[in-house]
Amino acid sequence: MSPKKPVLLAGLISAAGLVASACGSSSSSTTTTSATTSAPATTQAPTTTAAPNYAATETPPTANVALQETGSTLLYPLFNLWAPDYSKAYPNITITTAGTGSGTGIADASNGTVDIGASDAYLSTAQTTKTPTLVNIPLAISAQEIVYNIPGVTQQLNLTGQVISSIYQGKIQYWDDSAIAALNSGVTLPHLLISPVHRSDGSGDTFIFTQYLSKQDPSGWGATVSYGTTVAFPTVSSALGANGNGGMVTTCGATKGCIAYVGVSYASAAQKAGLTIAAISNAAGKFVTPDASSIQADAQSFIAQVPTNEAISLIDGPGATAYPIINFEYAIVNTAQTDANKAQAIRSLLTWAIDPSHGNATSYLSQVNFQPLPQSVASLSLAQISKIQAG
Amino acid sequence: MVTRAISATESGSADNHFVPSVALGNNPIRIATAIVSTLPLLALGSILVVLFFNSLPAIKYNGFHFLTSKHWNPGNFYANPVTTNGVTHPILANYGAWPLIVGTLLSSLIAITIALPLSVGAALIVAKSLGPRLRNLLGVFFELLAGIPSVIFGLWGALTLGPLLARDVYPLLARHIPNVILLKYFRGTTGSGEGLLTSGIVLAIMIVPIIASTTRDLFLQVPKLTEDGASALGLTQWEVTRNVTFPWVSAGIIGATVLGLARALGETMAVAMISGSVLGSLPTNIYSTYTTIAATIVSQLDSALTDATGLAVDTLAEVALIIMVVTLLTNVGARILIKKVSTTSLPVGRGI
Amino acid sequence: MSNIPTIDTNLFVPRKRRRYINRVVFTLGTLALLLLISPSVWIIGQVLVRAIPHFSFSVITTNGVGLGGGLKNDIVGTTLITAGVGVVAGTIGILTGIYLSQFATGQVAGLLRGASEVLAGIPSIVIGYVGYIALVVHFHWGFSLGAGLITLSVMVIPYIAKTTEVSLRQVPSSYTEGAEALGFKPTRILRLITIKSALPGIVTGMIVALAISVGETAPLLYTAGYSQNMPHLAFTHSPVGYLTYAVWTFYNQPTVTAQRLSYDAAMLLIFMLLALIASSRIIVSRTQRHAETKG
Repeated sequence: MSPKKPVLLAGLISAAGLVASACGSSSSSTTTTSATTSAPATTQAPTTTAAPNYAATETPPTANVALQETGSTLLYPLFNLWAPDYSKAYPNITITTAGTGSGTGIADASNGTVDIGASDAYLSTAQTTKTPTLVNIPLAISAQEIVYNIPGVTQQLNLTGQVISSIYQGKIQYWDDSAIAALNSGVTLPHLLISPVHRSDGSGDTFIFTQYLSKQDPSGWGATVSYGTTVAFPTVSSALGANGNGGMVTTCGATKGCIAYVGVSYASAAQKAGLTIAAISNAAGKFVTPDASSIQADAQSFIAQVPTNEAISLIDGPGATAYPIINFEYAIVNTAQTDANKAQAIRSLLTWAIDPSHGNATSYLSQVNFQPLPQSVASLSLAQISKIQAG
Repeated sequence: MVTRAISATESGSADNHFVPSVALGNNPIRIATAIVSTLPLLALGSILVVLFFNSLPAIKYNGFHFLTSKHWNPGNFYANPVTTNGVTHPILANYGAWPLIVGTLLSSLIAITIALPLSVGAALIVAKSLGPRLRNLLGVFFELLAGIPSVIFGLWGALTLGPLLARDVYPLLARHIPNVILLKYFRGTTGSGEGLLTSGIVLAIMIVPIIASTTRDLFLQVPKLTEDGASALGLTQWEVTRNVTFPWVSAGIIGATVLGLARALGETMAVAMISGSVLGSLPTNIYSTYTTIAATIVSQLDSALTDATGLAVDTLAEVALIIMVVTLLTNVGARILIKKVSTTSLPVGRGI
Repeated sequence: MSNIPTIDTNLFVPRKRRRYINRVVFTLGTLALLLLISPSVWIIGQVLVRAIPHFSFSVITTNGVGLGGGLKNDIVGTTLITAGVGVVAGTIGILTGIYLSQFATGQVAGLLRGASEVLAGIPSIVIGYVGYIALVVHFHWGFSLGAGLITLSVMVIPYIAKTTEVSLRQVPSSYTEGAEALGFKPTRILRLITIKSALPGIVTGMIVALAISVGETAPLLYTAGYSQNMPHLAFTHSPVGYLTYAVWTFYNQPTVTAQRLSYDAAMLLIFMLLALIASSRIIVSRTQRHAETKG
């Protein structure tokens, strides 16, 4: 497979392609009835055409199949929107979902306890060495916002990765610190103790947040704390731990002077809790807030580098308008399935999920503030989906 | 029907002079029940075996300084794993359980300090001053208290008690308590209400049913004749209690307290909700956020599963082994103590 | 036990003062009792106050959806898990209790009894952890009803075994001797006389076990998993929701709906607990006349 060139092409014409494929797939998926004849064609699909061919893998088997999904609590609400609608279209496929955390998602998909694991983080090489048939397939794009609670300050603050890193290390203790003031001329900052909040449970959110800090502050955060789903957060007496994204928002809302990192699916909740979203510095040194265009801009800046196994960090992309803390939300699947019908059902569900006329439609994604996959990434995902086979 | 039933009905069984009432021989019932009755033993054995073998790589890698180190760094899961002492692990992995051990012990200690005097005082009143009707009513109440799920204690502690104490009580304490030995830990930053003291208080409420109901049963067991004799000598009720009742039941109370301690040490959900869950640092005062061994297993197991080398999960098995050994020792100790001195044996397990 | 107490009270202290001390001590005791009662009333009251004003029956009739919806799936899940524990732990616990009271002697009895007591002392999260490693992962059961209820059963078997054993021991020997004299077969005596007389105690133990099953969270998190769908009646490979999970997962969510659900679930748990305690009282008082266990 040599997907490089079509991928680049696809990236350039992504907007047009989205529309074209949307029309194409919705008509074909409803008219295609024979599952067996379309299956062999799937492997070539992404390489032969720029527009992803969703129709090829979207048809489920005619037999009854029960699929199980478990994992990321961030993806769980989206899967719960997808599952009933997919089962409505294909009543012979039943889907059970569970939000248990990315770790169990990866582990259970790897040992075969579930069919689809959901994860905020991609697989490590150690994991793929251990289970070579395990793949991570991006389904959508999520982002993370940095929020704060400073009574009386309603303006949007600018914060650099360096400053956030210093806050989480306890080097910057008060909001009126000169380092913060320098980035926010014209804002009157109170002499208020900063409470950095971090996740107490291990999470993909911590993973991408600490990755951003490591990239922005390589000699400080990168060298001393580094990144991971659980890191040894430096001891800061005002620091707090919170469980889950919901806990982050609630804790921060209740703590004056707090700063926290929260998944975008909690954006409206964060706003209601009185938290303000910070504009943070990207690799180009510009301050950006997370929205559809800045998230897509960051994704676009990585498109050329997305490898065929799609394991890539999307943190701190080079674009001037790119929002730096975004990530793919992954489905973790074992490509070596034992049952042909089940393999086909998994292919069908995942294809349906990334199809912009179905699962990747704004009507689903906007409910959790996710962004759709760029077309070229969708093509790569389709290529990986087609590898899910029995025997 | 919770605590009372078990401990009350149990009293007849403490002495093992029981002779099977019917000569049943080798009938099918005997064989079937014999086979089934080995299942708890098998379960216990499997738990020990699973924990031990799962924690073996972690024990090897983390070494003895695991018990004294305060780092909690799972290492970089995305770099290539390396091998040390024959154990494959993520690079930079460095675990220490000391803050967890300290957090577990301190929160339980605070709980016992609060719960013991309250329980004994309350049990004294229930046993000595209340009529059977009221006593019975309070029995039901203790049952209910013992049965309230720990998540509800957590819910109350996190959303009601914690914020209230942090707003109205802790700042006052921190300001007015003198800066002397031990008490000085009541000074300093008081935080958001999640931390050692709040969870200590909630844990205390949770273990009260164990200590109070066992103590009450012990009080009721003291032979009436001895106490009446003392009263006849002209002693007040308190003097009778102090001179006659307490010596009779003191070891039993210690046993009940240790059992309550075991419950507090192993409590998971309430602590996970009220501790503030901070890994890798030691508490600086009594309001500090912290975490315990049990709460860490709940909050870290999921992310530990992303460690392909398995070290993170094995390390959790190691801390599970530690908390298991500690609670078992306290449990068995309490039982031996109370068996020696009393005909009331302790309620099974965590007292519910 | 037989040590004669030595009285170190100075009886020459004026009687008035000694009475005063007595009153102080008992006042403190009463205070302690009130201090113990008040938080419990507060906890239950708080749950009711937060749950009742907004409670609607749709909470009982709809499944959970994200951070909202209802608790139907959790109610059914808790009921299923508890019923499963009742069957599994009930069978094993009662049979173990019968063996320990009627047949086991000497070291074997000591070992089995000790194992049971030790098992009951293990923190629930440790049992849950082992349940995850052994049942969910190693046996490939996945997050499931089976993994959850077996893990919980391991936790509560000791309670049932102990109460069963104790109740059976307390059956007056005159009952069985009488039956023996009448020519009943030993197995029939065990079935008809001994077990029947011990029934209130056994039921009590069962209900303690069920109360624990309703209220536990930690051992279920990594065994039953969680699902907002209605539980399937599958033993393996299908996660189930349960009420304690709803309390735990919704309590710190930033939306009002989620926190309400948390309190709703807490209230339902308290109601279930009260129902269990009440039924235990009723059963005990109904059967006590036949049992005459209290000597």
